[in-house]
Amino acid sequence: MSVEVEVDESDLAEMVEQVWESYLDPEGVSPLIPTYDENQPSEVHSSVSITGSWNGHVVYASSRAAAQRAAAAFLAMELEEVSEEDMADTLGELANIVGGNVKAMLPPGAQLSLPQVNLAPEASARFPNAQRISGVYGMWEGEPVSISMWQSSTDNKEEGA
Amino acid sequence: MKILIADDSRVMRQIVVRTLRQAGFGDHDLIEAADGKEALDKATAEKPDLVISDWNMPHLTGIEVLRQLRAAGNNVKFGFVTSECTPEMKTAAEASGSAFFIVKPFTAERFDEVFAPILG
Repeated sequence: MSVEVEVDESDLAEMVEQVWESYLDPEGVSPLIPTYDENQPSEVHSSVSITGSWNGHVVYASSRAAAQRAAAAFLAMELEEVSEEDMADTLGELANIVGGNVKAMLPPGAQLSLPQVNLAPEASARFPNAQRISGVYGMWEGEPVSISMWQSSTDNKEEGA
Repeated sequence: MKILIADDSRVMRQIVVRTLRQAGFGDHDLIEAADGKEALDKATAEKPDLVISDWNMPHLTGIEVLRQLRAAGNNVKFGFVTSECTPEMKTAAEASGSAFFIVKPFTAERFDEVFAPILG
């Protein structure tokens, strides 16, 4: 028996809103505007894996410009001061925050991995035997940002016992 | 007061420092640790008055750091700032003597609410 996912799109949207309110848009002037376009392009992405009571991945993807802007907001620096390392660390933390919040909504017994960051489009990522089950897709100051959940089909095998 | 901030993410340590400042606690002496081992070492050697720790860190997790400190008789005020928050984690933290549990993402208001009674 596979575990029903208890995290839906509105839950994801709420977590994303909290990240924006806390760190990326504390003034409330530049929210993530939904596009509902799961095929919107990205240039960089980060992910965390969850294993145990649910198996899959939480993926944060955006353009480089949006990642730079996120790093500038996280680190309180000017856009032009943002290094590749700043951008990568910020992307990792974004995946970690959303992944940790997702984990908290899953049945007990889920483990969260440390984040992985890839300064390449999400379209280049491969999550074997996993499919995207939900996501929040939007534009942030004109730049694409998405947060999505990928569920691994191994759930069925492992939960069958 | 001396405050030790333990998180393996440099970005998150910086956000914690900034949020402490925004909440009006920037005048305290802030020191940092980049993993659980360093957190344990600094919590012992530097004698902070408060430890603000991530949960999931390399070498030692935050709860392991707390348990080792308590086992060694160190009763420093200790709490967690983490993106993961399950009822089991909260229970484990409280059972080990954790003073607070802050979930990421957090705001300066949340820091004020938790730390004002501790830091004055």
